[in-house]
Amino acid sequence: MNADLLTVALLAGAANWAFRVLPTRARTDRLAPGGWLERFLAATGPAAIATLFVAAILPALSPDLRALLPVGLGVAAVLGTYLARPSVVLATLAGALAHGLAVWALGPVLS
Amino acid sequence: MIRAPLLDGLSASLPIALGYFPIAFSFGVAATRAGFSAGEAFALSLFIYAGASQFLALALLTSGAPVLVSAFTLIAMNLRHVLYGPALMRAAGQGASTKRAWVWAFGLTDEVFGQALGALARGQRFSERYMFGLGAGAYGSWLAGTAVGAVAGGGALDGWPALGAGLGFMLPALFLALLLSILSRRQVPVIAVAALVTVGGTLWVSATVGILSGMLAGALTGLVRR
Repeated sequence: MNADLLTVALLAGAANWAFRVLPTRARTDRLAPGGWLERFLAATGPAAIATLFVAAILPALSPDLRALLPVGLGVAAVLGTYLARPSVVLATLAGALAHGLAVWALGPVLS
Repeated sequence: MIRAPLLDGLSASLPIALGYFPIAFSFGVAATRAGFSAGEAFALSLFIYAGASQFLALALLTSGAPVLVSAFTLIAMNLRHVLYGPALMRAAGQGASTKRAWVWAFGLTDEVFGQALGALARGQRFSERYMFGLGAGAYGSWLAGTAVGAVAGGGALDGWPALGAGLGFMLPALFLALLLSILSRRQVPVIAVAALVTVGGTLWVSATVGILSGMLAGALTGLVRR
């Protein structure tokens, strides 16, 4: 097994364990409401998710309409499904299904 | 939830497991396409257990980024998870036990957190066994999906371009759905700044710089009092 990969996995995994486990024992009232740390941490989640969405969708964007249409339909399916029933899992599956069906209907774009 | 909290947790994990399996499958396929073995792909899922971080780990490891830089990048990416435990325990109420949190709380992913918070909001009593069942179902699906995808290999989807495209879109779809789930007027500037800086950093420097600078800029925007 790749030693670099194992080191990265163990370090990141240990941090994930600490991030998820240790705060369950923390007294939430110790963070000053409206304090800078509370505001920074509160913004970290939305900032991370927005960043990850942009980073994931950017490579799929293309001036070629045949490549762009499945992306647009996938995004529309996520938005429509989430508005109809606010479930992350259902919206995700609907987006992937719409994207896959659009690629199937249009045929894959050959690069 | 009172009679068999473990089983209740497992059954509540079903929709998450159904969503996780194809994402983990596509991770397993992506890992083998990037040149890693099935065992290495499985180790990333076993130890890290965070979808976006794992995909980024593939990019960092294959690009030759230094080990410590890679590890701290992934660690920074999951910083948001520190908020989940306190939020969940506040909803669980005083007296809720966290004696076995060292086991179940590793499974506190975005979706598990959302599902648990929803159950408490619907009036269910907090139970560590329920949390264990909920987390175990999701974790098991993640590991199984990774293993199947990695064993199937990089060429598994070559004959199925539409299926490959659908699985490939699973990640942007998941992030968009998560974004919708946490969207509030207060966070709009944070999201807008993060998105714009990510685009700029990615187009003008690199994807890694785009991700790191986008997250940092968005989080710093949260410090601005409005």
